[in-house]
Amino acid sequence: MTPLAHYLILSGLLFSIGLAGVLVRRNILVVFMCLEMMLSAANISLVAFSRAQGTEGVPVYDAQVLALFIIAVAAAEVAIGLALIVAMFRSCRSVDSASLNTLKD
Amino acid sequence: MIQDFAFYTWAQFAPAFVLVGIAAALLMVDTFAPRFPKQGLAVISALSAIVTGLFILPCDGGISLTGLAALACIATGAAVLLGVDYHKVTCESVCGAGSQEGTGEFYALPLMAAAGIFCLTQARDIITLFVSLEVLTLSSYVLAGYFRRNRGSVEAGVKYLVLGALSTGLLVFGAAWYFGMTGSFSLSPATLADGFLIPGRITGILLAYVFLFAGAFFKVGAAPMHGWIPDVYQGAPTPVSIFLGVASKAAGFCVLILLFRPLYSVLSVPEVGSLYTGRVFCFLTIIMAATLLIGNLGAIPQSNVKRLLGYSSIGQAGFILLLFLGIQTFEVAESGVEFVPLQHNVFYYLMAYGLATVPAFYAVALVRMSRGSEELSAFRGLAKTNPRLAFLITVCFASLAGVPLTAGFIAKFRSFVALLQGGSCSTLCWLLPIAVICAAAGFYYYFKIIREMYWEKPLESDKPVTVPGISMAVLILCVLALLWFGSKPLFCASPAGLWFGF
Repeated sequence: MTPLAHYLILSGLLFSIGLAGVLVRRNILVVFMCLEMMLSAANISLVAFSRAQGTEGVPVYDAQVLALFIIAVAAAEVAIGLALIVAMFRSCRSVDSASLNTLKD
Repeated sequence: MIQDFAFYTWAQFAPAFVLVGIAAALLMVDTFAPRFPKQGLAVISALSAIVTGLFILPCDGGISLTGLAALACIATGAAVLLGVDYHKVTCESVCGAGSQEGTGEFYALPLMAAAGIFCLTQARDIITLFVSLEVLTLSSYVLAGYFRRNRGSVEAGVKYLVLGALSTGLLVFGAAWYFGMTGSFSLSPATLADGFLIPGRITGILLAYVFLFAGAFFKVGAAPMHGWIPDVYQGAPTPVSIFLGVASKAAGFCVLILLFRPLYSVLSVPEVGSLYTGRVFCFLTIIMAATLLIGNLGAIPQSNVKRLLGYSSIGQAGFILLLFLGIQTFEVAESGVEFVPLQHNVFYYLMAYGLATVPAFYAVALVRMSRGSEELSAFRGLAKTNPRLAFLITVCFASLAGVPLTAGFIAKFRSFVALLQGGSCSTLCWLLPIAVICAAAGFYYYFKIIREMYWEKPLESDKPVTVPGISMAVLILCVLALLWFGSKPLFCASPAGLWFGF
């Protein structure tokens, strides 16, 4: 059986890549994909922990329930996010984060 | 007050069902009776939020977290009520002047967000906390970007969405580690204490808490996660700014208290506490200082009133965070740490802040509708053209600054008491001067608006700002409440009345 640490390292890597993408990329669509990647990283951790915490091969289902909720919330977030990006493209003619420049100090 | 951490009951969530039910009914009316005036929807929505809020308001003034939910519901109602007077601008910014198409959801969504806040205050585990927080957050994204013909609003929506989703990611990653280290999502002190007893788990729990706190700090607008506040407050429709400023902030502090309660209960056990309490509070004091400085010093150069109120909201969040220091002076009961005084203080501060911020945003909206600008200069000479309105605005900003005889003074007073009692000597050395400087800076930037109204002369072309009846009623009620709560301690005979003069 794969040890827990391997799952956690994979999850940590995915999370870091997602976070780096959010901070570095300029295209809002790509930023949005990176955000989804961070949520998936949390899901991997949750499912791995759910196995590890279980006894006699029966996982603790609480964590898997949260993973399902996270997937549902991520879907809702994408629906709203894409709608906002379409609205942004209509008003700015671009999906680049540099064009978000009307509100600043 | 020890909650039962095992079960939820349906009856407990009844107010949330009522709010969602009314919101769904409003959406049905909006869809199937498109000719029904949308302002009518707004009035129904606002009244139902306010009535629900008053209904769940505990008589003892916010002992449990439900008090925060009541506050959030009433603030939501006040925000939607501004939408009634603001309807013309809403129509122009959504589908073009003259048509009210597509504006119905604007008045139904805040109710759903309020239902999310209510469920949040009832949460006893991280799953409920996460889902109700997302119900609130997802509605807020839509509301912030609702004015789709207004570039500022769309920009605010996108910025809020990206940063909000980032904080959600941090929060769920923390939740995963919380579960991994304790084996449960329950937020009861006993669960966390079990995790602390297993060797090698403490680092993991603290890691989980860093991520969970990052999510909570985003909602309250504390220092490293404050970046969205000025942009979103400025760009979002003014009713939504009210909602984000008061209701969403109350929800954020609710999350913070829910997360902090088990952690502090475990840390207050002497064997564990001696090692980690100092480090956790060191981390918290740095956040407090940074929040205070960024909010209050950042507000000074602002010329847009909504942006200024955004920075002020960061600064006020810093003062609320100071209240958390006071927790170290509370008695440790057998059943765990008493959180009631902290909840009471946070409730009082948020109430004082809400009573002043709601009319301040109303004033911005009224000036924007008459003079077409949200800049400081649009308030010029208001004392000449609208003396009564200028007086009401003056009281609100005086309360935000913390002038005695207003509720804002008592609230800030409590923050300083918590700081003086709870801070260790070395903390006080640097945190107290920062808090004093920030309180003084508040006087400068809040009084800029008062100066603009009383010292500057109105232009020849400036007509008086029209004040519709509903707005005037809300302004007067808020100002009366501010003065009442501010002068109440005068009538209490004992000094204790000044401390808990509620």
